[in-house]
Amino acid sequence: MATLTDNRKSGGYQFPGKKSKGEIIVDWITTTDHKKIGYLYLITSFIYFLIGGVMALVIRAQLTLPGLDIVQTKEQYNQLFTMHGTIMLLMFATPLFAGFANVLMPVQIGAPDVAFPRLNAIAFWFFFFGSLVAVSGFFTPQGAASFGWFAYAPLSNTTFSPGIGGDLWVFGLALSGFGTIMGGVNFITTILTMRAPGMTMFRMPIFTWNTLVTSILVIMAFPPLAAALFALGADRRFGAHIFDPVNGGPMLWQHLFWFFGHPEVYIIALPFFGIVSEIFPVFSRKPVFGYKTLIFATIAIAALSMTVWAHHMYVTGSVLLPFFAFTTMLIAVPTGVKIFNWIGTMWRGSITFETPMLYSLGFLTTFIFGGLTGVILASPPLTFHLSDSYFVVAHFHYVVFGTVVFAMFAGFFFWWPKFTGKMLDERLGKIQFWLLFFGFHITFLIQHWLGVIGMPRRYATYLPEDGFTWMNMVSTSGSVLLALSMIPFLWNLYVTARRAPTVSLDDPWGYGRSLEWATSSPFPRHNFHSIPRIRSESPAFDLHHPEHASAEAKAAANEDRK
Amino acid sequence: MKANVNMWFIMTAFFALITGVYAAWWFLTYGGWEPIGTSALAMLTFMSIFLTFYLWKTYRTQGQVPEDRLDANIEDGESELGFFAPWSWWPIFVGAASGLTFASLAVGWWLTFIAAPLALIGVVGYVFEHSRGHFAH
Repeated sequence: MATLTDNRKSGGYQFPGKKSKGEIIVDWITTTDHKKIGYLYLITSFIYFLIGGVMALVIRAQLTLPGLDIVQTKEQYNQLFTMHGTIMLLMFATPLFAGFANVLMPVQIGAPDVAFPRLNAIAFWFFFFGSLVAVSGFFTPQGAASFGWFAYAPLSNTTFSPGIGGDLWVFGLALSGFGTIMGGVNFITTILTMRAPGMTMFRMPIFTWNTLVTSILVIMAFPPLAAALFALGADRRFGAHIFDPVNGGPMLWQHLFWFFGHPEVYIIALPFFGIVSEIFPVFSRKPVFGYKTLIFATIAIAALSMTVWAHHMYVTGSVLLPFFAFTTMLIAVPTGVKIFNWIGTMWRGSITFETPMLYSLGFLTTFIFGGLTGVILASPPLTFHLSDSYFVVAHFHYVVFGTVVFAMFAGFFFWWPKFTGKMLDERLGKIQFWLLFFGFHITFLIQHWLGVIGMPRRYATYLPEDGFTWMNMVSTSGSVLLALSMIPFLWNLYVTARRAPTVSLDDPWGYGRSLEWATSSPFPRHNFHSIPRIRSESPAFDLHHPEHASAEAKAAANEDRK
Repeated sequence: MKANVNMWFIMTAFFALITGVYAAWWFLTYGGWEPIGTSALAMLTFMSIFLTFYLWKTYRTQGQVPEDRLDANIEDGESELGFFAPWSWWPIFVGAASGLTFASLAVGWWLTFIAAPLALIGVVGYVFEHSRGHFAH
């Protein structure tokens, strides 16, 4: 396959000999290579993950005992939980999807790059500078935004939340939202137009399918957010009255925000479902069970997720309770289908427990817990009691931490040889997994009961008489364990970069299925020196294990021999 | 492409159905119509119709392509996939200038007068970076 492109071997300027630091920096900031942009996304979002994590630790420290004042003012506490939510959702999880999708999706469909490489770079820089603007509120005298990450009206107006931090939050998020939309458009176009011959839609890896469906959700959900943010910005800066309570503004904001906010949950969940769907077959030595049902379940989740938004608004008393309870419970069906498929993939497989598999199993258990409490919260009578309590906090941490963080580490360990040409250390990886797993469950499992006995979310402290103390102590000690689990990982990155031998194999795990395992590690500049023939959804497996290849691949090979 | 047309067609039908169900359910429960959710769903349906139509039209014009054929070999594809910029300074320039412009809405007009022209220069530079006039590629 020839591509009309620059003849020089690697991206950016080609310098003779060893590159100086300045040359390396120029190479990275001017890059249009989808993989480098992907790494920029992964690195930036991981840094935001650490920053948001430190904020979470301060919040947990503040709540360890009643009446503490680790944060000096309650306002600072409000800023912390607001920015923790904003950072984790919009600066960590969403760009992390863009990172994995950027690096892997074009390779998985056998394309040399994405459809719009420069637009791809702009999408990253919009996210980068938009996020910078949104968090820069911390450096202003009144501090960052403090109205909660969903910025309910009228709390988010200038009467109740004065200060430039809130304005920066609004406009920064608007810019980074545009970046996300551009990324989504780019992914959709790439998948529709740049597949290699023979790579039909129903031969694409599950991760690529999930990238497509997620991008579709992005273009459906982010424009309402952009509209809502600009309207809020007009209210705050130019004296408009769009979200004025006199005009029914609070309901307008909540509808618009959750019309974005609920699909957003699936935007950050679906790609990570895709990651584990790639990992389970490799370490079970079996093809994925029910390939098409997995895809149909993904599409069903996407379609349904656009119709459930007001289950975040039950307690307003002005939404159609039975409608939203019904659609919300309905969405549990395709999700259950997916879990059934993952278990079916492992069923009677020859399973080994390498780190990526451990993380995928950690994802599965954690996510099932979160899904079950989700069904509980879908029923209005229960939500009336549990809304805005720690039960909800526990529920969504199980869902999003279970998917995003566990699957992120699964993906890092799984594809690290493809990213860098070196395998991460398995022993450190397993130590990190168990620290993370127990740290997470100790922190958040107990919060279900905290919510049941009535601890409200977003309160800066509580009284000894409330009886919340011992559970909060358990939760905080778990969070310390969770924080410690980052040390083996960072150490692992360092040790691997310094000492690990280079992997010379295309497929170091031995049973890789999709096309990225049919090219060298790390990827060459335009991804492939040669692409194998695509006759099934596992072209790399057909190539490396011809005796167990799919029937179509065997038939094509026999055809050649004649 | 056919699979995509079908997928979008199913989604369009679903959203149209849901818009109707939502509006009717609200009408039967409370009377009148609920403006926000109904219009959001209606616009979603409209966007889906638009995309379905575009994909269907493309499928009709384009016909069968190698990436949709089960028996296509790699060499059946176009030898020339298009033009890929090897690097570009404009994305980071547009990004930084837009970041300043958006921040200026929060900070004050004085910054807008500095940042918006920069963003404009960035957009022009980005659009015309590889342009060689009409039909010159």
